[in-house]
This record gives sequence, C-alpha cells and structure tokens, in this order.
Amino acid sequence: MKRTLPLIITVVIGILMVGEYFIPHYRYHLITNNILEWGALVASAALLLGLVNLLQVNVPVIRYRHQDWGYKLVMMVGLVGSLIAGFVGGEGRLDYAPSHFVYSYVFSPLDATMFALLGFYIASAAFRAFRARNLEAALLLIAAVIVMIGRVPLGSALSVALFDYDYLGRVMNWIMDVPNNAGRRALLIGAALGAVATGLRIILGIERSHLGGD
Amino acid sequence: MNWLARLQHLDRRIIFLLMGLSILIPVLFPLPMSFEVDERVQNLYQAVERVPPGSRVLISADFDPSSRPELEPFFRANLDHLFRRNVKVVVVSLVPYAPGLVSPLLRVYGERYHKQEGVDWVYLGFKEGKELIIKAMGANMRQTFPTSYAGVSIDQLPIMNGIKQLKDFPLIVMVSSGSPGTKEWVVQVQAQYALNMVSSCTAVQTPDYIPYYKAGQLLGLAGGMPGAAQYEKLVGVPTADAMATRGVNVLNLGHAFIILAILVGNISYFASKRREP
Repeated sequence: MKRTLPLIITVVIGILMVGEYFIPHYRYHLITNNILEWGALVASAALLLGLVNLLQVNVPVIRYRHQDWGYKLVMMVGLVGSLIAGFVGGEGRLDYAPSHFVYSYVFSPLDATMFALLGFYIASAAFRAFRARNLEAALLLIAAVIVMIGRVPLGSALSVALFDYDYLGRVMNWIMDVPNNAGRRALLIGAALGAVATGLRIILGIERSHLGGD
Repeated sequence: MNWLARLQHLDRRIIFLLMGLSILIPVLFPLPMSFEVDERVQNLYQAVERVPPGSRVLISADFDPSSRPELEPFFRANLDHLFRRNVKVVVVSLVPYAPGLVSPLLRVYGERYHKQEGVDWVYLGFKEGKELIIKAMGANMRQTFPTSYAGVSIDQLPIMNGIKQLKDFPLIVMVSSGSPGTKEWVVQVQAQYALNMVSSCTAVQTPDYIPYYKAGQLLGLAGGMPGAAQYEKLVGVPTADAMATRGVNVLNLGHAFIILAILVGNISYFASKRREP
C-alpha cells in the first residue's frame, strides 16, 4: 500500500493533466484547475520542507565541529536572522521593513558580487583553457570570437571602418540563426522526446524512482 | 619565442587585474559608439506597438540582483514604452528574489507617468510553484493570484476586470533570467492558448530561445544588455536613464579583452608545442 497508493495517485493525476490539453470542456477544466491549485500549495509547502532539511543537515555539522562548520554557522545566522526580520518587521514591500533592509543592503549586493566574479574566472579560463586543439575546437573558437565581437558596438564599428559595411554583424546573425538554431532545435527535440518518454513511464507506473526507497 | 611559451603560466591575478581594468576604464572614460538594431528587437518593439492603448499587458518580471544589469534596463524601457502608450500593466514574478527589485520600480514609473495603482498598473507579486503557476495562470488567473502584492483582493482591482486567463492579455512580456522563464512559458502555455509573447533574456540564454523566435512562438527577442540597449534606442529612453546603452559601451573593452586572452593563450600554447621535441 505504501507504494501502491502513490502510484495510483500518479497515474490518475498524470492522465487527468495530459487530458487537459486535449479536452476543452469546462467541467474537465474545473477539475484540473483545482489540481493545479493543490500543486501550488504543495510547492509552497516544499519551501518549508527545504528549510527544515537545511537545519537538519547543517546544525549537526556546527554542533560537532565538522569540516567548514564556521561557514555553516554564518549560513544559519543569516537564515535565522532573515526569518526573524521577515516575521517581526513587517511586509518586505514596505520600505521601512527590516526584511527590505536585508534584501536591499545584504542579499542584493552579495548576489550581484557573486555573479560579477564569474567574469574574472571566464577571463582566466579564456586565457588558459580555450585551446584550438583540433579542427572542431578551432571552429568553435572562431564562431565564439565572431559572436562576442559582433554583439557589442565595437564589432560593427570595426567592420564598417574596415569594409564600409557591417559584415561582422551579418555573419554573427547568420551563426545565431542557422548553425546555432539547427543545433538547438536538435537538442530541444531530443530533450522533449526524452521528457515525453519519461513522463509516460512515470504515468504508467513503469518508472518508480520518484517514490524513493528500494 | 621562449617568453611566448612561458605566457601560459601567467599568474591569473594579472589576468584578473587586466579584466578589472578593461571594465573600469570605459566606466570612468566613456566612449559611446553607435549600434544597429537587430531584427529580433525590432519585432519585439513592433509587437508592443501593436497593443491598442487602454489594453492590458502581462509582464512576467523574473530577474534578480545577479541578472539585474542585463534585464532591469529592458524592464524599465518596457514600462516607459507601455505607459507612454497608455497601456495598462499587470506584473507577476515567479522567482522569489524579484519582488524586491520589481515593486519599487513599478512605483517609480507609476508616479513618473501619473499612473494609478490598481487602475493602470498592479503588481500581483511572487508565487512559488514555477511551471505549475504558469500553467495555473493559463487556466485561471484569478484563482492563482487572488490578491495583489499589496494585499488587495483581485476582485477590487479595476485593472483586473474581465481578466480570467492568460489569453485575455493581448501580449505577454517575459523578462527572465533562468528557470522558470521564457522556455517554461513557451512550453507550458504558448501553444495551448495561442498567446502572443515577447521575451527579454540574459545574453547566455539568447541562443536557447532563437528556435522559439524562428518558429513564431516568440514575436520578438531582446538578448542581454545589447538587446536591452537596442530596445532603449527604439523606445527613445533619455540618455540619463539608458542604463543598457551605457553598459553596452563598457562591454566593448571587456569583450575585446576576452578575445585577446583567447588569442594570446592559443599563440602561447602553439609556441610551447613547437618547442617540445
């Protein structure tokens, strides 16, 4: 029963939701709309589960001074502090709320900084790792250089200065519209077929890994 | 040629320093350059232009502090464009870090254009659920967002009168930095409800969404800061407010440095290979 009931739920809900695309009757959509609302509730509850899991994983590490326990402590202090700021200080949309302060002056600059650091690592990787070791790698690098320079005004300025026409922009757009498009379409179709196959396997109960256990 | 081969072992702190300078110098000493507008951005602009004044447009504003430089300029220019044409704006967010950025911007632009909250614009806030929320909006918008971000019931918002589903919006604008984003919108609801959609995305995602644009599922696509700058140019955003236009001129030297790093790295690599027996 422990695995049978979830399987039954999966099959019934899965078939209902697939049918929604093909059955336009409003009574059918009343049922599927409710299912979508339940799903949104479950997703919100999953946030709480994630919070509990975070505490369960990190508190023992801090308590028993395992590796990197200091960083976990900083994370927990941030977590608890943000929660208190959110619960006590009023709604975050209000300019005077502590949670607004935490978002604007702690989270926002930190998040932006973490992402900005990537630029430096990309520069280092470009110098050390982007090697034209074979023909395919060389073609990739040439395409990358054309697209990179074509995307900024410098590219078209250079092209116009040298050739009196924006050839670089035209080539860049061709690379994006033709070979890139072809490759991406192949990937999308492959991924979509895989998703359909996996979805069918889950709905029909053949694939049971999502139920957990052995 | 020995020094060329030794360049491979250049301390990466020097590379970091040069990268930093290549961004800092154009910030301190701007060198504006003109640029052309892509067909994709032109079509995005035209799609917004075709929305009749007085209509309502849905914007899914899903950017966070890390993607802010690429997407916020487009969002601002889009608000300029829509408000100037007296188009009403309904905004939702599907990522939890968006409200802190989106809500203040809506207030600023609402005041600038003398637009009233609840009548000319409304922010419905963030909802957890990712693709589920997109699907739920497609089926029943009012059930998915029963109140606005300010806590006002959706039934009391004049701007939401008559809006039941996504297909009641003549245009949906997606400003997305990741997941859920443009891809999830197109996959979940575009075909089912035959929705008119345009998208602004990060530069890294642009190649992923070109198939959707070419297939007609997206009417227009603005990729990254260059796309946002082109859109600012079409909308006529004043220079003082044109963040993307200023930013894209900073990118000139940054991109040139990356290309130089690739070239020098490869020259150094081949020079070292030549030295090996």
